Amino acid sequence: MSLAILDGGTFFHHAAIQGARYRELFDLVIYMPELTPTALEGAKLLIVPDRVHPDLLRNHRQILIDFAQSGGTLVVFGENQAETWLPGVSWTARPTNFWWWLDKNAKPPHRQVAPDHELFQAVTFADTIWHFHGLLRPPPQAQTLIDVPPDAENDDTGGALLYDDRVTTAGRLIVSTLDPFYHHGSNFMPATTKFLDGFLPWARARAHSPGA
Amino acid sequence: MKPALALSYGFPDVAMAKLASHPDASGRITSRDVYALEHLDLDLDDFGALLISMHLDQRFLAGRAAQIESFLRQGGSVIANGHIAYPFLPGMTGVHPLENYGLRDLAVKRLVDHPIWAGVSENDLTFRRGVAGFYGRAWHHPPDGATVVHALGEPDRPLDFIYPVGKGRVLFHGGNDLWQYGAADSTGRILPQLLRWMFFGERAE
Repeated sequence: MSLAILDGGTFFHHAAIQGARYRELFDLVIYMPELTPTALEGAKLLIVPDRVHPDLLRNHRQILIDFAQSGGTLVVFGENQAETWLPGVSWTARPTNFWWWLDKNAKPPHRQVAPDHELFQAVTFADTIWHFHGLLRPPPQAQTLIDVPPDAENDDTGGALLYDDRVTTAGRLIVSTLDPFYHHGSNFMPATTKFLDGFLPWARARAHSPGA
Repeated sequence: MKPALALSYGFPDVAMAKLASHPDASGRITSRDVYALEHLDLDLDDFGALLISMHLDQRFLAGRAAQIESFLRQGGSVIANGHIAYPFLPGMTGVHPLENYGLRDLAVKRLVDHPIWAGVSENDLTFRRGVAGFYGRAWHHPPDGATVVHALGEPDRPLDFIYPVGKGRVLFHGGNDLWQYGAADSTGRILPQLLRWMFFGERAE
C-alpha cells in the first residue's frame, strides 16, 4: 500500500514532487512517459498532478482506468483534459478569472457542498480557493465537494470544482479542476501550497490505511 | 529567413498562438509536439530558432541536450523560458527560487539595454495589475560570456540573459513564457521586438 504520483517532467512538477517540502510523502514517483502497469505495483492511491501532457495521459488511459477498476484511488487534478480519457468526466469551459482577489470585497463563487467529507478534515475550505479552470459535471451519485453557481455572463449552469466518484469504477475517482502543483511548483501562489500541505499528508494516510 | 520551431506541450497555447499569428511573425513559427524532437532533424536548413516554453517536459529535453547544443553550434537561436530543473542548455545549471520573497526582491532591474526590451519599463515588467512576481520569482547562474539584461531585486540574481554557443545564441528568461507578455502598457513592445530579434538576429541590435 503506497502513495504514487505521476511526474510530467516539467520544472513545476519537479519542484513540487522532488522538492524538500513533500518528497518524503511519495512512495512511488513515476515519470509519465514511463508509466506501465508494473510501475504501479503496490500503489493504492495515484495522483495525476495538474498539467501533464494530455497525449501521454490519453495514450496510457487504460493503465489509469485499470488502476481504478482494480480498487485503487485515482486523484486527477485540473488542466489534464480528463474528459478525453477518464470515464465519467464531463467538463465545460468558463473563462478563468485570475484576478478575483484584487477586489477586497470580492467574494469567490466557491461553495463547500460536502463539509463533512473526510478531505475537509485535512484541507480547509479556505485553502481550496483560488482561480479555477472550467467546470465539471459529476456523474449521478458521485459526491460533489466544491462547486460554483451558474454564471449568467458565461451562460453556464455552474458545476463542480472537486468531486469524489465511487460509482464509475470499482475504485474511486477524485477529480478536480484545481491546479495546485503548477502554482506551488512555480513558487507563486501561497494558497496552493497550503492546499498541498493538507492534501498530500491526507493522500498518504489514505494510501497507507487498510480501508478503501 | 528560416522559420522558428515552437515545441508544444499538448495544450492549446493561447500565448504562443498570439506570437505565431503576429503580423511580424509572417507565419514563420511552426509548432511540433515536444516529443517529436526525437525523430526530427533539428537542422539550420529547416529552422533558425527553437522556442521552448516553461510548460515542457524538461526531463525529456535533458535527453535531447546534445541535439539542442548541436543546433546552437551551427548557428541556431534558442529561446527558453521557465525554471531549470533538468539542465538541457549548454552551461546552464539549476534554478534558485527566491525564498520568503518580498516586493523588493521581485523588482525587475535592467542592467543593460537590449532591443527586445527597448521602451519596456522595468515597472511594467515588475507589476501586472499592481501585482508583482509574474515576470520572475527565481534566478539562474548565467553561463560564461552571458549578457545579463534583467536581474531580480539584486544585480546578482540574473533573470534574463543572452549567451553565445558556437555560432548560435541562447536567450533565457527565467520566468513565465516571454510570449505571455503584451498588455496595453509598455510590455506590448516585447512581442514584435522579440520577433525582430528572432528573425533578423544581430542586425536588429
